[in-house]
Amino acid sequence: MTIREDGQNLRDTGLGEIELDHRLSATWSTPSGLWGALSSVDHKIIGRRYIVTAFVFLALGGLLAMAMRLQLSQPEARFIGPDRYNQIFTMHGTNMMFLFAVPVMEAMAVYLVPLMVGTRNIAFPRLNAFSYWMYLAGGLLLWIAFAVDTGPDIGWFAYVPLSGPQYAAGKRADIWAQMITFTEVSALAVAVEIVVTVFKQRAPGMSLDRIPLFVWSMLVTSFLIILAMPAIMIASSTLILDRLVGTHFFNPAEGGDVLLWQHLFWFFGHPEVYIIFLPAVGMVSTIVATFTRRPVFGYLAMVMALVATGVLAFGLWVHHMFVAGLPRLGESFFTASSMAIAIPAGLQIFCWLATMWAGRPVFRTPFLFVIGFMVIFVIGGMTGVMVASVPFDTQVHDTYFVVAHFHYVLVGGAVFPLLGAIYYWFPKITGRMMSETLGRWVFGLIFTGFNLTFFPMHILGLQGMPRRIYTYQPEMPWSGLNMFVSLSAVILAAGFLLFFIDAIRSSATGATAPANPWGASTLEWATSSPPPPYNFARLPVVGSLEPLSNNPETLPVASGLSVDRRELIVSSVVEALPEARESSPDNSIWPLWSALATTVLLIWSIFTPWAVVWGSIPVSIALIGWFWPKGTPEDDA
Amino acid sequence: MFGDINDAKWSFLATFLLVVAGAAFLGWAQQPRELRTDPPLVADLDRFRLMSNSIGGSPPESYFAEGKPYESDAYNLSQGQRLYTWFGCQSCHGDGRGNVGPSFLDGWWLYGPEMVSIVASIRDGRPHGMPAFRDRMTIEQIWQLAGYVQTIGAYSTKVAATGRRDDRHTRPAENRAPAKILFNEGPVGAHPDQGPSP
Repeated sequence: MTIREDGQNLRDTGLGEIELDHRLSATWSTPSGLWGALSSVDHKIIGRRYIVTAFVFLALGGLLAMAMRLQLSQPEARFIGPDRYNQIFTMHGTNMMFLFAVPVMEAMAVYLVPLMVGTRNIAFPRLNAFSYWMYLAGGLLLWIAFAVDTGPDIGWFAYVPLSGPQYAAGKRADIWAQMITFTEVSALAVAVEIVVTVFKQRAPGMSLDRIPLFVWSMLVTSFLIILAMPAIMIASSTLILDRLVGTHFFNPAEGGDVLLWQHLFWFFGHPEVYIIFLPAVGMVSTIVATFTRRPVFGYLAMVMALVATGVLAFGLWVHHMFVAGLPRLGESFFTASSMAIAIPAGLQIFCWLATMWAGRPVFRTPFLFVIGFMVIFVIGGMTGVMVASVPFDTQVHDTYFVVAHFHYVLVGGAVFPLLGAIYYWFPKITGRMMSETLGRWVFGLIFTGFNLTFFPMHILGLQGMPRRIYTYQPEMPWSGLNMFVSLSAVILAAGFLLFFIDAIRSSATGATAPANPWGASTLEWATSSPPPPYNFARLPVVGSLEPLSNNPETLPVASGLSVDRRELIVSSVVEALPEARESSPDNSIWPLWSALATTVLLIWSIFTPWAVVWGSIPVSIALIGWFWPKGTPEDDA
Repeated sequence: MFGDINDAKWSFLATFLLVVAGAAFLGWAQQPRELRTDPPLVADLDRFRLMSNSIGGSPPESYFAEGKPYESDAYNLSQGQRLYTWFGCQSCHGDGRGNVGPSFLDGWWLYGPEMVSIVASIRDGRPHGMPAFRDRMTIEQIWQLAGYVQTIGAYSTKVAATGRRDDRHTRPAENRAPAKILFNEGPVGAHPDQGPSP
């Protein structure tokens, strides 16, 4: 560990705090100005952008939901025409699933996982920048298409033949399918980064049994993404080929198969639910541990339940297709497996209950959202077990009962934990606290509004109100409840509005947050709020599951890393024994150019297949620029 | 989360808002897809005027005001494609190449290729076996079907096209290049015997 005074390959070993901060900042910080912003590869900056963008899409999707509630508030309303309504409900579902739920969970991981495992940047940081630009481009494609009246109108799962060439005239279905490609690329990129970060960049000593539960949940989620996304990639690509090139994958008359679409889509679509839910499990575990002042009960059981959910998630997809006319044996098998998934989910719920029971709960806003999550998610899980049985599902399929069920599962299972997580990690991300008073109001409004909005939908569904209808006749017995639901939705929307107001206001004028405002025990709280560009002045060394709980004042650290180039520790997969000092890539503008070139190719290919040929030229140029050897140690290592 | 983002967030936001506003303007200016056309507009579709020999004429003014939707809108053309099957056009006209009735594909139009002629043929029927459909289809459906029939044998390229049917393909697709390139010598030379004259 030599210290060379000429500044070449200077190590951090003997440097004082101020000198170290100065040098690490020079090495790791993102230059100011537009160019610096566009070429940043800092996981915190990209993660923050991801989160803000995803919440913008949440707000837009919420506006669409309010538009639908306005139209459905009374029979034969004339606010929105049938064609626009078809686009709106498709946009709502597509936007919430592909542009909000999955990206926001990944965004939280992009921001938090490197901090929680005690490293300085995510693995493949340029790929991370590329994935954000791809995600943004996909979102803009969908929303601009909607604004020019070419929004998809085929439902968020785009069943053929409705989305096929015969029934979906124009470019609307192509926009949907290509938007999927954008989000697939970005989700897969982030998933690979998370897996590599968790497996190879953990702080020394953080063996597999000392990984925080949020990191475990994101690891399982990332594997789900890697295994599930290829199915939808095949599905959307073959749909585009059918529509554009004249293939017959889904055309029964020429040997194709319509059901093939449903299988491919739901083989992705059901794991998608767990891609959204499992990160929430991690968030809930983290918040529960912090606010009950004790570790989560049954760490091993929780991890096993996460892995079991991840495995079982791939054996359930057919329960979305019970009315498609499948063999009885298949239906029975998927009924059983759908009910089996309740076992790991129940295990997790009981572990959290045991943690609360044995701990000393502090009822702050994040914890309130966790309580709300448990109530709503359990109700959603109950109706889930109901629709898992074929005879019941046959009755309520495509009715508002199913709408109520999946909103309970998705909003209860993902949005509530997410809002809790925002209140919980907001001080870490912005350096300021969100308002506790407003937070309680937000929780109260959203919890009340949510239940009043979505519980009556169960009843509407049992009364036979179908999904995806833009109006209904006055003779139907649905008008009173629909008006009630629409009015309740205003309460829910008010809660979200208050949340956005609180977030924007607190980010500017909230109380300054200390490094560890909640007294939490995971590593992200070991650094300042917000973290410096290099995350940790010296990389921590972990000796227990809760590195900050035993002795928060002194955390053992590793030394010997270079301060002149971006460097982090690569450790072994199981024991997290330090293996090497690895360089981490510097800022680069090429991910942006690559994303732009890919965007041109993908959007152009909606109009002509030749775009794949000619559009690949700029993509190749951008990738060559990206990977061109720069002659610096950072890039050659 | 929203705060002190030191990386030029306002320029991003401004660009985003500009793009969305521009797109919204384009969408507002574009011709919307009508799943429930206004009843007065539909009623007006019946008020086209034919020449005295029932060949050619002029559509109602509202048709032009709406941007000729039944010729230039992929959705309406696709509806027409569906109606072609539903109302049994195939039993006489086959897949478009003709059977008992005349072909639409050979580039020869007995009553001319104008929309009003085709609409009149479907609505009122024609001699030598073409039945009147005015009591079986709404006038809007007749216009949609006429737009589709015109597309099968179009002389010039249209921007809008129907999608491919999920069916066996027995003839050139509707969204191919215009019919005239299939008949380079022109319709007269290719088919000297065009059946009964009108």
